[in-house]
Amino acid sequence: MKPERCDPVTGHCITCGDEGIVMRVIELRDDEAVCADELRTRHRVAIDLVGPVAVGDEVLVHAGVAIGHLRAAAIVGARE
Amino acid sequence: MKFVDEFRNAQLGQVLAGEILAELEPGRQYKVMEVCGGHTHSIYKYGIDDLLPANVELVHGPGCPVCVIPMGRVDDGIAVARHEGVIFTCFGDMLRVPGSEYTLLDAKAQGADVRMVYSPLDALRIARENPDREVVFFAIGFETTAPSTALTLKRARAEGICNFSCVCNHVTIVPPLRALLESPDLRLDGFIGPGHVCTVVGARPFEFIPADYGRPVVISGFEPLDVLQSILMILRQLSQGRCEVENQYTRVVPYEGNLRALEVMAEVFELRPHFEWRGLGFISQSALKLSEAYREFDAEERFSVPGVRVADPKACQCGEVLKGVIKPWECKVFGTACTPEHAIGTCMVSPEGACAAYYNYGRLTRAQEAV
Repeated sequence: MKPERCDPVTGHCITCGDEGIVMRVIELRDDEAVCADELRTRHRVAIDLVGPVAVGDEVLVHAGVAIGHLRAAAIVGARE
Repeated sequence: MKFVDEFRNAQLGQVLAGEILAELEPGRQYKVMEVCGGHTHSIYKYGIDDLLPANVELVHGPGCPVCVIPMGRVDDGIAVARHEGVIFTCFGDMLRVPGSEYTLLDAKAQGADVRMVYSPLDALRIARENPDREVVFFAIGFETTAPSTALTLKRARAEGICNFSCVCNHVTIVPPLRALLESPDLRLDGFIGPGHVCTVVGARPFEFIPADYGRPVVISGFEPLDVLQSILMILRQLSQGRCEVENQYTRVVPYEGNLRALEVMAEVFELRPHFEWRGLGFISQSALKLSEAYREFDAEERFSVPGVRVADPKACQCGEVLKGVIKPWECKVFGTACTPEHAIGTCMVSPEGACAAYYNYGRLTRAQEAV
């Protein structure tokens, strides 16, 4: 847990904000992965709810659980 | 970082702002509701509101799970936390939500063992490490968070952890949206859809909005360019006379959602017949409770709770704010009696609440406009 991200007085609560954090899979264990966020802080993440993931993949993490597997997006700003 | 940095590009933001301007019909006022509290936070954190033309107004919806928890449920949580031997766990923002008399933080100061967790899996770990104590998790959140609670309960059962239970306050997003759309005092042109809820439930549950109410929906990510592009896509639908569900957040949201997460949720939860929402009243089938198969983990069955309905404070206008009828700064107590340090209403408690987002990021601008 990163207390500064879930501080009851001043901080920002990723869970209550319905936020998902993009993290990169660093290492795979039995039913969890070690993932790094954009600040390169490492987190233990449950990966039961997403399909097979590989080291180097990006996943969307919410409340310690990966809920999505990121795919290449359309170029931002391009006309659809 | 890939999938993050490219969606914070300031130059592309200016391009999108120009395209938004070009899409507008002269003289027309546009009202777009962002459903999710995370979007409200992004809009003020990144100053997206300032990039938009004056005739495009963003209305904040009921999408902060903390903001919609009524006082009576907080009182129930405090009652459980005060039971002898209980370790009560919850997310950070929940600690400061006012009940009828106290917050969970007050209960902690008065001696209850209340602990903040980042994940329900942390609460389960505490239960594993404290087999002689009862560990209760106060579950809140929309469909984004419900899968993590469901997964935790499945693990608790698989490991035979009997000293763990959950006060389930999970809510679903579609019923309150339908209630808002039925409200006669609401005038909206379109919706920015909740990207992370849709990661789990997909886009299909939102098809009723264009079909039954004739409003476009664009499912949006949370980075500044995501939100700007979603606003552009809504305006483009309006100018082209289209009305449909579009997915801006394709890098995360599959149209059918996360089928594994939906399967786990279906096993662990069932719909409550009714649930009270702060400011919106009782909405049928808008919340989840534990299914019969998981009833043994229901803290409301394990502990006695008051279960008393408590009316919201009269001075607080969270209800009108949640419905988008008034802006946060139009509330009588905004920034005076009600501040993030001493919140009266829950919209001021969570940083994702509309009032806190205005207070933290928009107060100075509003004050300057008033001069």
